[in-house]
Amino acid sequence: MKLLFAESPAPKLNLSKKLLLLNWPFIFLITAIVLVGAASLYSVAGGALDPWASRHVVRFCFGLALLFAVAFSDIRFWLRGAYPFYLAALMLMLLVPFIGVESGGARRWLGYGELSFQPSEMMKITLVLALARYYQWLPPEKIWRPDALLPPVLMITLPILLALAQPDLGTAALFAIIGGGLLFLAGVSWFYFGAVIVGVVVALPHAWEKLHDYQRERVLTFIDPERDPLGSGYHILQSKIAIGSGGFAGKGYMQGTQAQLNFLPEKHTDFIFTMFAEEMGFIGAVVLLALYLLALLFITYMALRCRSIFAKLLAAGVGLTLFAYVFINVAMVTGLVPVVGVPLPLVSYGGTSMLTMIIGLGFVLNAHINRDVTFRRSEVRALW
Amino acid sequence: MRKKKALHYGAQKKPDYTRKQSYRFSRRALLVGGAQAGLFGLLGWRLHQLQILDSSEYRLLSDENRMMMQLVAPARGSIYDRFGTLIAEDKENLRLLVLPAFCKSLPGTLDALSKIVPISGATRDRVMRAARRQSGYYPILIAEGLTWRQFALLNVLAPQLPGMRADRAAYRKYYHSRPMAHLVGYVGMAGKEEVDLDPVMRLPGFRTGRTGVEKTFDRELRGSPGSVKYEVDSRGRVVRELGSKPSSCGRDLVLSIDHHLQTVALDRIKEHRVASVVVLDVVTGGILAMASTPTFDPNDVAFDVNLESWRELSRNPDHPLNNRAIRGQYPPGSTFKVVTALAGLHAGVIDGHETMSCPGGYSVGRKRFRCWKAHGGGIDVHEAIKQSCDTYFYETAKRMGIDHLAMVARHLGLGRTYDCGLPGQSAGIIPDQAWKRANLMEAWYTGETVIAGIGQGFVSSTPLQLAVMSARVATGRAVLPKLIMSPEDKAEPWPLLSLDPAHLEMVRSGMVGVVNEPGGTARRSALEIPNMLMAGKTGTSQVVSFQNEHKLTAYERETHALFIAYAPADAPRYAAACVVEHGGGGSAAAAPVVRDVITEALLRDPAGRPTFVANSDAPPAAVAAAEPVR
Repeated sequence: MKLLFAESPAPKLNLSKKLLLLNWPFIFLITAIVLVGAASLYSVAGGALDPWASRHVVRFCFGLALLFAVAFSDIRFWLRGAYPFYLAALMLMLLVPFIGVESGGARRWLGYGELSFQPSEMMKITLVLALARYYQWLPPEKIWRPDALLPPVLMITLPILLALAQPDLGTAALFAIIGGGLLFLAGVSWFYFGAVIVGVVVALPHAWEKLHDYQRERVLTFIDPERDPLGSGYHILQSKIAIGSGGFAGKGYMQGTQAQLNFLPEKHTDFIFTMFAEEMGFIGAVVLLALYLLALLFITYMALRCRSIFAKLLAAGVGLTLFAYVFINVAMVTGLVPVVGVPLPLVSYGGTSMLTMIIGLGFVLNAHINRDVTFRRSEVRALW
Repeated sequence: MRKKKALHYGAQKKPDYTRKQSYRFSRRALLVGGAQAGLFGLLGWRLHQLQILDSSEYRLLSDENRMMMQLVAPARGSIYDRFGTLIAEDKENLRLLVLPAFCKSLPGTLDALSKIVPISGATRDRVMRAARRQSGYYPILIAEGLTWRQFALLNVLAPQLPGMRADRAAYRKYYHSRPMAHLVGYVGMAGKEEVDLDPVMRLPGFRTGRTGVEKTFDRELRGSPGSVKYEVDSRGRVVRELGSKPSSCGRDLVLSIDHHLQTVALDRIKEHRVASVVVLDVVTGGILAMASTPTFDPNDVAFDVNLESWRELSRNPDHPLNNRAIRGQYPPGSTFKVVTALAGLHAGVIDGHETMSCPGGYSVGRKRFRCWKAHGGGIDVHEAIKQSCDTYFYETAKRMGIDHLAMVARHLGLGRTYDCGLPGQSAGIIPDQAWKRANLMEAWYTGETVIAGIGQGFVSSTPLQLAVMSARVATGRAVLPKLIMSPEDKAEPWPLLSLDPAHLEMVRSGMVGVVNEPGGTARRSALEIPNMLMAGKTGTSQVVSFQNEHKLTAYERETHALFIAYAPADAPRYAAACVVEHGGGGSAAAAPVVRDVITEALLRDPAGRPTFVANSDAPPAAVAAAEPVR
């Protein structure tokens, strides 16, 4: 009976049923985080809706429509489309070094002006899709085999290399975290992870030996920016001053001197958490982190509820992306990890990152709606 | 296929890999969720560390970031003469400054500025040096005394040149500058040692007193600087003012000088190459006039120093910057006979009745000392002073010995400096045996006592000291000179000298005789005011010994002319002393000067008129409480 159910096509869901299955508390949570972002952007602009807060909200409204569109779409479409989308994203990333637009010393963008977008953002979602698709295809009993590990590792390594070439260290780190995390969740043996860690630990000193002095200096400054307080260390020092001076209760909304007097760099994007922590203090910062953690718990819960491994990994993969964004960003502005330029999802101003995150969350909701769906072998085996 | 497998595994149940994978996913998802929560805990711990444990430290850094203090230079106190005539005050000064920290490039800024304000190479060097040496947040002065047109142009240009400041500050203006130059002194940029002591000095345009009263009372005149606290953004642009502490003006000073008398005195001595004259109020000790020629204009020195004229001033062989009245040390010559007479009477070696005869010279051992003329017999104290008989005082000095003479000389105010607010006073020399042993490592000879009796030899004194001596003889009180009027000292009279009033009276009558009796050395300089007598004593002091005479020019070989006086003789109010360097005889060069100045003083009577009280001194109680009186 059970087997029969698994092999049978999933019950056809109509829109009204899907609306009922939607995780509404989760959507409210996301909206709350976005509104925190809007309030922060209002403060960044010195108490004005222009130029950031209003656009942030408008973008979220469009994003919300997209979220529903993705959530209500057919999960089989995405299962079938996972590889083509991945390949398309890979192609676009390959194109970036040739026809990309350079800004700030790195080529990351395709297109121009308002119509530009980052293929690496697209890659974050399609990587999750492709890996989930792969493990949906892979018979569970073969998961331990080394040759079964080869395709997913390739799938992860290619975008990492392309991101490093741009160069965009933050994105590369994100790919590594998402990919590694998904492999782990899919059930790849502990042994492989242990081997990679041991390998890195053993190889690192040798690699260090081979580096030139100036390269070492660059690496050291990257790891510890305070070695260079006037260069890259300046931003992180100012960020720490801002967060620290916020204290327990903060300096008050729109009263952050570090932010309002422009001592903070990029305070509407990467350093928005700094400004928030300065103005709202420890309390505010912890509340914001708690909101994110709650969202992550929701996502984990939704992933656990899914029946198919594709849906599980899809939800969990987006959860990993969200976590990696938040953790790297906050750890960066508090000086725990080097500055790599990762925005705070849903709070930082920026169209592309907002779009990526919203679409990702749409997939989480999609997986949740289709939590009881299973796939036939034939559905999985076909490449398209 | 399925059949084969089933055969292979036999009766064993095929493991449900899908279910296994699902459980594994659940386990690992919970593990990953736990790890995520743990890493968020790490972030929370980090925030706790930054925002709670180290918060105070970061708050300090944040305040340091956003606040900028700027010192505000206080307005320097004004200086008035005794009747409230303005002598020195701060006036508006339009200046151009630069804050190197806020400039895009300092040389570029200077280039742009030089289109409006000429900037010399030397100025450019000075600015660049200062920019290297001190914090970039201290403004550096580029030019001052700008015209309104330049000031307006600079303000128009200001938005394009960050770091440039055009402001309105004060400069020092001196009135009646040439007569008052030596007394009031002038202000200048703070010296290096001063700058190290007090950072306020680094403020551009901050001047401190370099000489004269400006130097002595610098602390009082300077006031205390205020400060403005600004909030600045990351580029140093002022966002708003957080608060300010106003600077408090320096105290005003009122001098005891009567500027009119001072001007008359300077005009009177101008005919001589180097001369000085001092007029004292013998009752209060207030210095009414103290002129020294050659003089200079402090306005040329205090502000916008012209290097050429400064060089000229400092290289002039007559040293115009020197105040002769307190720095010039001259052998007092015959004016010292007043001291010798008093000392002799005090020692009891002579009395009013004893007469000596003067053959025109005096012998000690084999050495012969000449008198300026043979006075013949019948010389008593009165006649000896009146006719300035050297022989009488040779004998007197020899009888009492040098130590007694020196003691009385010091009692009369010689051989010391006065704490009257004039820096750079010379003490002069009143020699005695101990002095010679200490300074020349030699024993004292009687011959030296003899010539000290007529104010030659080692003896030297300044014009101010001679004026004080004459005031003390006139009043019989230990008068000390004063330059600053303060409302607090409605002085009780000076303490009496421990000299016999009868002896003083004898000497005074001699001094009256000098000017008013036939045969007196300064007979020609008697006052022309009816019923008003002046008492005085001439002095003509040799400056050269015969050994080096041939090396000197005729001017340098000439004797110094001295005259001390007080008037009116019966109720002394004004005392004066005048020294004309290489002026010849005291009766010819110095006495007429004193007569004219004293005449002016008597006619004007500055001592008898109400004096000015400065505003800042008006509420004496409050001021005295707030500021420690020097």
